[in-house]
Amino acid sequence: MMDDAMYASQLFLYAVIPLMKEIGEQYGYFRGKSGVVQLSVNLPDGVEGLHFVLEDGAVTTVLSLHERPDVSLHFARQQHFNDFFLGKTKKMPKIQGFGKPGLLIATFRTLLKMASLLAAKTPPADEPTKELVVRLYLYLLSRGISRLNRLGHPSVREWATKSPDRVYAWRVEGHPDTAAYLRVKAGKSKAARGLYTRSQPFFTMRFADLDSALSILLQTGDFLTLTAEKRLILEGAPEFGAKIGDFMQLVGSYIQG
Amino acid sequence: MQLSREKLIALENKAHELRRSIVDTVYHAGSGHLGGALSMIDAVTLLYYHRMNIDRANPKWPERDRFIMSKGHAGIGFVTVLADLGYIDREDLKTFNLTGSKLGIHLDATRVPGVDASTGSLGHGLSIALGMAIAARMTGKDYITYCLLGDGECNEGAVWEAAMATGSRRQTNLITLVDRNHAMLDGNTEDVMKLEPFQDKWTAFGFHAQTVNGHDFAAIDRAIGEALARKDKPSCIILDTVKGAGVDFAAGDFRWHYGAINEELAAKANESLEKYHRERVAALEGA
Amino acid sequence: MGIAYTSLDTTKLSTAEVYAHTLCEIAQEDPRIVTLTADLAKSTKIGVFQEKFPERFVNLGIAEQNMFGIAAGMAACGLIPFTCTFAIFNSCRALDQVHTDICYQNLNVKMIASHAGTSFGQAGSTHHATEDIAIMRTMANLVVLVPADGQEAAAAVRAAIEHQGPVYIRINRGFDQVVYPQGIEDFQIGKANLLKDGSDLCFIVCGSAVFSALQAARELEAEGIKARVLDMHSIKPLDKETIRKAVHDTRRIITAEDHTVVGGLGGAVAEVIAESGMGCAFRRLGIQDTFSPIGYHEDLMSIHGIDTNGLITAAREALKMDFEEDDDWADEV
Repeated sequence: MMDDAMYASQLFLYAVIPLMKEIGEQYGYFRGKSGVVQLSVNLPDGVEGLHFVLEDGAVTTVLSLHERPDVSLHFARQQHFNDFFLGKTKKMPKIQGFGKPGLLIATFRTLLKMASLLAAKTPPADEPTKELVVRLYLYLLSRGISRLNRLGHPSVREWATKSPDRVYAWRVEGHPDTAAYLRVKAGKSKAARGLYTRSQPFFTMRFADLDSALSILLQTGDFLTLTAEKRLILEGAPEFGAKIGDFMQLVGSYIQG
Repeated sequence: MQLSREKLIALENKAHELRRSIVDTVYHAGSGHLGGALSMIDAVTLLYYHRMNIDRANPKWPERDRFIMSKGHAGIGFVTVLADLGYIDREDLKTFNLTGSKLGIHLDATRVPGVDASTGSLGHGLSIALGMAIAARMTGKDYITYCLLGDGECNEGAVWEAAMATGSRRQTNLITLVDRNHAMLDGNTEDVMKLEPFQDKWTAFGFHAQTVNGHDFAAIDRAIGEALARKDKPSCIILDTVKGAGVDFAAGDFRWHYGAINEELAAKANESLEKYHRERVAALEGA
Repeated sequence: MGIAYTSLDTTKLSTAEVYAHTLCEIAQEDPRIVTLTADLAKSTKIGVFQEKFPERFVNLGIAEQNMFGIAAGMAACGLIPFTCTFAIFNSCRALDQVHTDICYQNLNVKMIASHAGTSFGQAGSTHHATEDIAIMRTMANLVVLVPADGQEAAAAVRAAIEHQGPVYIRINRGFDQVVYPQGIEDFQIGKANLLKDGSDLCFIVCGSAVFSALQAARELEAEGIKARVLDMHSIKPLDKETIRKAVHDTRRIITAEDHTVVGGLGGAVAEVIAESGMGCAFRRLGIQDTFSPIGYHEDLMSIHGIDTNGLITAAREALKMDFEEDDDWADEV
């Protein structure tokens, strides 16, 4: 049985930090850069982390440790790691990579940008940023729920175990690039990006526009009002929508503290 | 308005014709629900030959008063009225129950003119009658719907669903009658399934319930008059009758719920009916 | 007894209310339309009609047998009554009235039977209707329709009114997946809707299974399998011609229904196949002669093998093919 701190660490590692790829790409921080950037943390069972392989700006995310990363941010204490990503501290972890200043700075910029985007309580002003934030959240939530299942979080695992092969999707009208989905089958889960086109998903949470999506994701609005105003349409039975909604909030609760 | 003596005697004469016709039809069919047909025929006579607004030329006249004989097995009784009114051919009575006949124990509304519902499965008639009464109100029509039930039939829960709804809706354009002949197939009603206190039950369901002698035209007529006048509650008229009334060997005997009549019994029955009729006319003349 | 909907439900009742709104539209022009319910106005959605035409609506309380008798009486007087109750009560509790008062007398009563199959899963077998298609199709004079979604239910209502005689329309609880988003132009009693053409196999389906079949056909297409999908909304009269054609063209028939496999759509199709003299692979999907456990409708459909996955599996078996696309379960990052 994991404790809340562990769930939080796991979600930061595998649902939040991977978003650096999308952010780096959107703002061009990694343009022209090559090398390996790694973030890691000491957890009770050992060191865990992930790394990004950059090749002339193209980013590949690998959910494991690299032998010799060019840039490495390592958190010696789990508490520090959690607090950092909760936004409670700006104290930096152990940094290696001053030999590649360009890459290092790009990493910091990406981290800072991620902090500001995800910590925002109000929606961004311009559309491209709105799109990005929605995409970030949907990837975060889909990966987060999948990760909780893998970790054996009781309520998520129970649901996934009983599930026949089903796909749960999130989408925003007119913005297919923000879509994400989660496939679940007999205890297994897989978070994926984009629209599921093989057949109609078992359940879809469809937002009328970016603002509607943001109001749910930034928690400025609520499900019921949005549904009544038809800004949020649940395609599929309400009971299953409620379940997914609960899991979204569960992920949120861990990463917001 | 009270019935005149002449009218009463005319009704008795008509009822007598019909009783004879019932025995005759049972004889031709070989057997039939004699008891229940004879117990109800007086009330049916009063309805069809005095109270009900019908068109003898058109059994489907939309404005007609409706009659639902919920105790569908008494078809052998009702059919004599239909023949007398000319809705069916008198000769057809001789084919009752025979293969290919349109007349069988339970009259088929889709085949026999003048039958407003195909009853036979007991307990349905009151609901159907209620539907017709509701339709009348919905379409702004004045017709009255009469529903005649058997007393044993009132064992069926469906009857009470309909009664509850009728009472609840104050459906005064529906008049319920019960042929309380105190007998059913397996025995007397109170031995098989107690109905008493029977009138109280109807009252409890929101009816203005009355019990009258089911062989007394004047009494039945007064009850119907009272029922028609009431606008606050629907009425139930419990007709206290004798199963097989008029045929001495059948009267009051539950075994004549359904029985066979051969030539000998037919002759005896007719003799009994003649005597019964004479006595009743005498009583009316003397009164 | 009533139903408690979650507040989320109340904002998404469109598929269930479609038929009720259609009825209101028609009733606006046709004064013969009246409606009845047995204390289920809210659940069957006929409450919509009640609000618009209170004088043409009758609530009989919890007394279904009475309701059907009354409907018969009303129809005998020239009205067109629509009864609205749960399919289980329509087909079991009040069957004597349906049989004797309505079908035998060929009266113009239109029966809306809702919460069909296991759609009211949480309520358990007392409220599941898993035998009604079989029961109702044995009634002479009765037309039996099983629409797939709200729009088809509305079309069924229109067709029912135009039809002279009793009609049984079987619908779900109201949370159907949409099969006909634009509605249906040419709904005809006795004529199946060809939703997808194909010659590898044919899904003959009705009600909740139609959506499953469409999704299954789509997924199978990606594997190169072309499945035909027939929305057999008319169980009676049955489109025998189209069934025979499907048998001939595809040689593999899979029926699916939210109903027992005994005597329902599967049974009806089997009768046609057997009499046709043509050979084919044949499989009936549905509830395998058992009472259903409690659960959400979608889960029960999965348990009974009539959801998309169930149909795909059956299709593959029919084609004797096995696909494994289960290797990569890593999250995409």
